[in-house]
Amino acid sequence: MKHALNLYRRLLGVQIRSQMQYRASFALELVGTGLIALFEYASLALVFERFDNLGGWTLGQVAFLYDMAEFSFGIMDMIFAGFDPSLFGQNVRRGTFDQLLLRPVNISVQVLGSEFTLRRIGKIIVGAGIFASALALNPVAWTPPKALLATLMAVSQVAFFGGLFIIGATITFWTVESIEVVNIFTYGGNYMISHPMHIFPAGLRQFFTYIIPAIFLAYYPALYILELPDPFRLPAFAPWLAPLAGLSVLMAALAFWRFGIRYYQSTGT
Amino acid sequence: MIRVENLSKHFKVFKHHRGAMGTLRNLFTRQYNLVQAVNGLSFEIQPGELVGYIGPNGAGKSTTIKMLTGLLVPTSGELSVMGLLPWRDRQKYVARVGAVFGQRTTLWWDLPVIESLNLLQHIYKIPAASFKQNLDEFRTTLELDPFLDTPVRALSLGQRMRADICAALLHDPEILFLDEPTIGLDVVAKERIRQFIQQVNRERGTTVILTTHDLSDVEKLCQRVMIIDRGKLLFEGQLDALKAQFGGKRELLVDFAEDYPSPQIEGAEIAGREGGRVSYRFARGEIAASELIGRISAKYRIRDLEVREPQIEETIRRIYEERLLEN
Repeated sequence: MKHALNLYRRLLGVQIRSQMQYRASFALELVGTGLIALFEYASLALVFERFDNLGGWTLGQVAFLYDMAEFSFGIMDMIFAGFDPSLFGQNVRRGTFDQLLLRPVNISVQVLGSEFTLRRIGKIIVGAGIFASALALNPVAWTPPKALLATLMAVSQVAFFGGLFIIGATITFWTVESIEVVNIFTYGGNYMISHPMHIFPAGLRQFFTYIIPAIFLAYYPALYILELPDPFRLPAFAPWLAPLAGLSVLMAALAFWRFGIRYYQSTGT
Repeated sequence: MIRVENLSKHFKVFKHHRGAMGTLRNLFTRQYNLVQAVNGLSFEIQPGELVGYIGPNGAGKSTTIKMLTGLLVPTSGELSVMGLLPWRDRQKYVARVGAVFGQRTTLWWDLPVIESLNLLQHIYKIPAASFKQNLDEFRTTLELDPFLDTPVRALSLGQRMRADICAALLHDPEILFLDEPTIGLDVVAKERIRQFIQQVNRERGTTVILTTHDLSDVEKLCQRVMIIDRGKLLFEGQLDALKAQFGGKRELLVDFAEDYPSPQIEGAEIAGREGGRVSYRFARGEIAASELIGRISAKYRIRDLEVREPQIEETIRRIYEERLLEN
């Protein structure tokens, strides 16, 4: 375990040094991803200019959800980039993944250390900035439990999105040509989590409550922090289920991942 | 060291449907063809051997190597290397073997070679002393110094191969798997790699399993050869035995001092002539080269002569084409 952590740190160092060799490209992508995050927020704000609210939620309230997800996804995308399904699928096809299997180190640690997209920092910083300004739009009093929950929310979402990436990466063991199908999971999950859940049909909402517990990762903590009433009348501890939900998705993803590796070893490419 | 018994690997190749709906169908339909990549393979390899594993593309070479290195789980049969099951004891096993796949690199693309090697020290937990000793040795024998600080992406194929072979040996593996280590290299680079492989096998006692389709690799390096085709072992044994058993005819080239219109000789046939040079073909076992030379020199005046062994390429091509070993 200690060896794995030490090695992970070294592999990260390699990734960062490698990316720093292409400074111009790094700077461009840094600015590019930041700008994209900014434009996405602007388009959201424009929609509110016209419709004024979304399922009764104000711009500030939706932006809170939206940018929390944006920020967490950015952090996850940086850390879990090795599991990015489109990239990982290529590595499986090219045989790079086999090279990892030939080394005497835990395979998940190696995949995690095989990529670290530092340039996502651009998106993360802009996401954090917009999140801060969204907070200013919400006239709520901050208390220590709220600050704690907001932090837990971000961490849990990173775990949740990371789990989705791992599930997506695992699916590429079966079907390398259908990244689009895989993207339904990752980007679909991101979409669900960044909108107030009560605007979706009941079936979809129940799916994201009981099958994939995404509702506890964003919507419920947001209700608590923004002091909004719960239309579904779940118990009062529902907002605090966020870490459990994030962790369980990540754990389930890792179990699926191990199953996928066993399948891969029985079939190859 | 390596024991393989009745080893088979069958793949299900699923029928693919194109387009978005096709993709969904691919996920749920179970139509497939069964491909028997490796079928009932049995062999043993002793410590310190240098074995050539050859066969045409698609014969099952890669599949075998992937099973031997633990990348693939066999469908049936037994496979035990150093008492371990490669796929099940993956981490423990790969720490004791080295592998080079000619078309890929294990090194970090954007890092200078030396940094990749340093990283491997940590990955394999190589003690500092033996790491330094090995690295110093390989720097000399593989002539790594000129490009040790060059990023891997900027290396030539030959340089990259040398770096990769060094990377596979730093942790003193007991077995080295080389998959097409000379592919795409020029003659000089090939020769350098071959010499090094031989040296590692002799001096370090490393067991080497070499797959290649370049038969001169096998001819120069391997005492023992295994030939695989369509998932089955066609031949397994000494290279000399292969030639003796299936080798085509030997050739005797004679430069005559005078111009003889038809220098016939008993026991050999004339295969061709070019000016004063005539080539005879004769079968091993029927007549010895010395006997034949005696007969020729008794009748004609000779300036020079040369005996040629049948080329291994030809031997193996004959085995494939005539399916000499099919039962």
